[in-house]
Amino acid sequence: MKKLYFDVSKCVACRTCEIVCCVGHSLSKDLFKSVREKKLSLPRIEVCIGKDKNFPIACRHCKEPKCVDACIAKALTYDFEKKEVIHDKERCIGCWMCIMVCPYGAIRPDKKAKLPLRCDHCVEIGEPQCAKSCPTKAISYKEEPE
Amino acid sequence: MSQEHIKKDEIQGPLYERAQEKGIETIWERETKQEPHCGFGTLGLCCKNCNLGPCRIDPFGEGATCGVCGATADTISARNLVRHIAAGTSCHSDHGREIAKTLLMAATGETKFYKVSDEEKLKKIALEYKVKVDNRKINEIAKDLAEKVLSEYGQQKGEITLIQRAPEKQKKIWNNFSLMPRGIDREVVEALSRTNVGVDNDYKNLMAHGMRVALADGWGGSMVATELTDILFGKPSPKRAKANLSVLKEDQVNLIVHGHVPLLSELVCDASSDPELIALAKEKGATGINLAGICCTANEILVRRGYPVAGDFLQQELALMTGAVDLMLVDLQCIMPTLSDIATCFHTKIVSTSPKARFPGMEHVEFKEEEALPIAKKIVRMAIENFPNRDKTKVCIPKKDAQDLIPGFTTEYVFDMLGGRYRPSFKPLNEAIMAGRIRGVAGVVGCDNPKMASSGSHEILVKELIKNDVLVVQTGCSAAACGRAGLLTPEAAFEFAGKGLKEVCEAVGCPPVLHLGSCVDNSRILTACCEMVKEGGIGKSLDELPVAGAAPEWMSEKAIAIGWYFVASGLMVLFGMPFPVYGSDNMTKYVFEDVEKITGGKWSFEPDPLKMAKIMIDHIDSKRKALSLKPMMYNTDEHR
Amino acid sequence: MKNIIIIGNSAAAISAIEAIRSKDSQSKITVICDEEYPAYCRCLISNLVAGDIAENKLYLRPQDFYTQNKIDLLLGKKVIKLDPKKRRVTLEDNEKKDFDVALIATGAKPALPDLKGIRKQGVSGFRTFNDAKEIISLATFAKVVCVLGGGLIGLKAAYGLKKRGLQVKVIVKSKYVLSQVLDDVGAGIVQEHLEKEGIEILTGQEAIELIGNGQVKAVKLDSGKVIEAPIVIVGKGVEPNTELVKETDIKLDFGILTDVHLATNVPGIFAAGDVAQCFDVVRGAHYINALWPNAIEQGRIAGLNMAGVNISYPGSIAMNSVEFFGLAVISIGLKKEDSHCQVLQFLDKKSSVYKKFIIKENRLKGFIGVGKINNSGVFLRLIRENIDISGFKNELLNDSFSYAKVIDLFQPDEIFKI
Repeated sequence: MKKLYFDVSKCVACRTCEIVCCVGHSLSKDLFKSVREKKLSLPRIEVCIGKDKNFPIACRHCKEPKCVDACIAKALTYDFEKKEVIHDKERCIGCWMCIMVCPYGAIRPDKKAKLPLRCDHCVEIGEPQCAKSCPTKAISYKEEPE
Repeated sequence: MSQEHIKKDEIQGPLYERAQEKGIETIWERETKQEPHCGFGTLGLCCKNCNLGPCRIDPFGEGATCGVCGATADTISARNLVRHIAAGTSCHSDHGREIAKTLLMAATGETKFYKVSDEEKLKKIALEYKVKVDNRKINEIAKDLAEKVLSEYGQQKGEITLIQRAPEKQKKIWNNFSLMPRGIDREVVEALSRTNVGVDNDYKNLMAHGMRVALADGWGGSMVATELTDILFGKPSPKRAKANLSVLKEDQVNLIVHGHVPLLSELVCDASSDPELIALAKEKGATGINLAGICCTANEILVRRGYPVAGDFLQQELALMTGAVDLMLVDLQCIMPTLSDIATCFHTKIVSTSPKARFPGMEHVEFKEEEALPIAKKIVRMAIENFPNRDKTKVCIPKKDAQDLIPGFTTEYVFDMLGGRYRPSFKPLNEAIMAGRIRGVAGVVGCDNPKMASSGSHEILVKELIKNDVLVVQTGCSAAACGRAGLLTPEAAFEFAGKGLKEVCEAVGCPPVLHLGSCVDNSRILTACCEMVKEGGIGKSLDELPVAGAAPEWMSEKAIAIGWYFVASGLMVLFGMPFPVYGSDNMTKYVFEDVEKITGGKWSFEPDPLKMAKIMIDHIDSKRKALSLKPMMYNTDEHR
Repeated sequence: MKNIIIIGNSAAAISAIEAIRSKDSQSKITVICDEEYPAYCRCLISNLVAGDIAENKLYLRPQDFYTQNKIDLLLGKKVIKLDPKKRRVTLEDNEKKDFDVALIATGAKPALPDLKGIRKQGVSGFRTFNDAKEIISLATFAKVVCVLGGGLIGLKAAYGLKKRGLQVKVIVKSKYVLSQVLDDVGAGIVQEHLEKEGIEILTGQEAIELIGNGQVKAVKLDSGKVIEAPIVIVGKGVEPNTELVKETDIKLDFGILTDVHLATNVPGIFAAGDVAQCFDVVRGAHYINALWPNAIEQGRIAGLNMAGVNISYPGSIAMNSVEFFGLAVISIGLKKEDSHCQVLQFLDKKSSVYKKFIIKENRLKGFIGVGKINNSGVFLRLIRENIDISGFKNELLNDSFSYAKVIDLFQPDEIFKI
């Protein structure tokens, strides 16, 4: 299964990934329209400053996901076939347990929607927009090494 | 985005695929590699004006809402936009400055290679500048005029001269809202100063100055360039010509001039018809010298001398792919630095000529007014001498015949002609509009851009406009695109125009789409609009005219300046893609709502060419309605 | 092929079933539980009462979970006796079941204070599906509810009933709410926030009597004040359900003591979840951290060991995440410092933001986040892995702190090419 990989030596912190993530999760999927939507979408990836490099941080769909264990509402489940953590918005109550346990700080709260912001590999579009758009190709979406 | 469109094109397709086979990267691949373009930049939300930054504003609201200095999205997008306008204005104005300087040198005898060609126009313009013309020698008038014009670049107060052509209402608005340009360079410098860190932070105040800069372009630098070029080289007049890449010839020396300022290219025209050089060409095995243009240089030598147009901005690389170009001469603006790389795959020489624009890998022959003709001859000779190096097996000139077009039917020409030599008049145009035979006038101008989702937008838009009885005027690459599509011929009226427009074209013998020249010649549209107001009956000021403009595929900062001088002059302008303001709610509102309240002009952004046409037609109709003009004579829906 | 019995049917039990079945599809597994429902999300009953979610969203697993996993499910049956020697359990109806391996996952129950009138009608705990159903039905006719206790359960009950439209009064014995979860500053923000939402909180007071004739009518406080309320919810902590092991050799402290394999001192008998007293990483001693994520992890570790896999439990940590009317609160590890601790804190009362780090000998021991909770999981990891934080201590409070700052302190991370 494919995963997101980050060559941080190439990350220049342009934050294109954040913007295209927002656009990819907007209703319109269109940059100009997305900034005028009633409920603005928020990035599920964030460029974080490391010691001397920049790290785009997003949910990595752990094989033994702590967030799934911690979810008291059974909103988060692990799909063994897709090897992805799936979030069911209908079940989620916004308790932030997943944020409390994510070892990578890769889940962030959308306080207005009371939903955790987590990478879903742009399931609506079919391919992660961050990897598609990264101008330095620091982000790639590729098969996991065996 | 538009590779598919290019591939399907009978003429461009084989050349594009040739580049692909050879592994040569062209603008379409480079565009794809840049996608998606940075959202911060696209929305106008990044600022690198000072070392507190670079900063950017989060358009989705969670991150930074202002830069380190405290500038908000409003300020940042306004500052960026004003700088774009200043840059575009600088390009046109600098172009105008070159022309004025050459006129001065010609008048004082510093160069013997230029002279006043249109004395009538010289006198007319001189009078506008309050230069005495009676009983004076031509060169005395030309000297005084050129000096006056040049002095307005650094003029500190007062008003620039040519803007006095505008209707009173516009001038009143400009004075009331501090939009009236005081000088040309002066306003650009003030724009740069205002947009520095910690200076002007009020987007409305910034944008007011932005419009002042743009007006200094349209009614200043650009208009100067147009008028003085006409004085030096003569006004355009109709002539039959050819367009597209198949104008290149297998058996001739192919010399392409590319860029914007016609000073050298005009003399290259002369040099290429020099019998001595033609003889040399024959000696080298060619049957003659074939001179063609690309970009606005093409438009300049097309409308005045009828030389063929090889292509517009997007075709500059494809032209080289023919392997048949012996030399390409470039000066400045819209020149791709990749040309020199592509040329290495063939025998083609690329020669840069402007001291202001050098390109790595190009041979440089610097242009000097004092030695203009010898330099032009030298370059033509270089082309001829390179002809034997052409590898005939590598030559691939499109087989399809070049498209005919009749340029030089400027609005000035057409209606001057109708009114008669001594009574030039826009009356026939105004009357056709009042009678509902012609709906109105649309300017379709500007660049071409590989980013555009639906390529061919110029052609689609213009066809839709003329079908709806809108007379179209064109400049720049847009004109070249429609020229290739066969819209710039009188015959196009029969095939594509609505019934009313067709009747007018038939009576006059003109195309439904008029080619006015290069991109500085957009100023001709301003002048024509003033004439329409003066003639009366279709509006007492520019904002009342049933007129609209569009730059469907704009890309250059020059286009932003042009768009703004039209909007600041009370006209409606449509861009195929927005300029970077969407990141600021206030700036977006300013562009779409506030500006109209100030100048009467109006902005619109729409990527779909058919929808563009509808927006422009609706705008023209709303102006017709406000003027209580007669309903359209023919229902255009009938012959759709 | 073993005969496995699991007593209890909540987080730890379900997690254990899945762990066992991932390794062993043959053994017979019997699950016995005194509640009559398939496993449900216990923590959601406040949301059920609040009307945030529908009843059907409460269930933890799909309907066919037990059949899919070949579980012999006995619901509504209470185990009354566990005989470790005979390896047999006896049910209420005297039915007997033998086992080779057993998991005690009996959970906990609300601690009922020794209070006059505590058995009256209208007095309820706040833990089970049945509690929630009863409270919802009582709430149809009541306007006021009195909650005893300002801990997590009490406040979650208060939240649920307030959102249901009732007038809510919370009686808190301590000086501030959530005294087991937060420090006074963090608690102050939460309290103010709840009060702004219309919940009345009376701190430093204690109920001394529940008044009423069979049906509770009012609560009498030690201050002499009497609060009229037809519903009283008792949220004064929980105690582990350890009755079964009291008469056995299984070692018991406050809860059932477990080793690193979640095994009790009696071979083949394991304990997990709210009933188990496991090693607490921060305290360095055995302690009950009765929390959902801990129960899930313990259930899995116990299950794997029961299936013959030798796997150790790294230990539990006290942690909690709650959200009241838009205010997020997370606390991990220590809440209150002693004199050997260094404390870093940030407070912005106006925007209800509070962050606190408790550090001991350059190791992070506790974190409190109110209003801003990003990266909490990274702090948990720093605590759990006992990382020396001296190199970046002064950056912990910054909003820009993230996993990126500490990535080189953890195991190599394969998704980043550095």
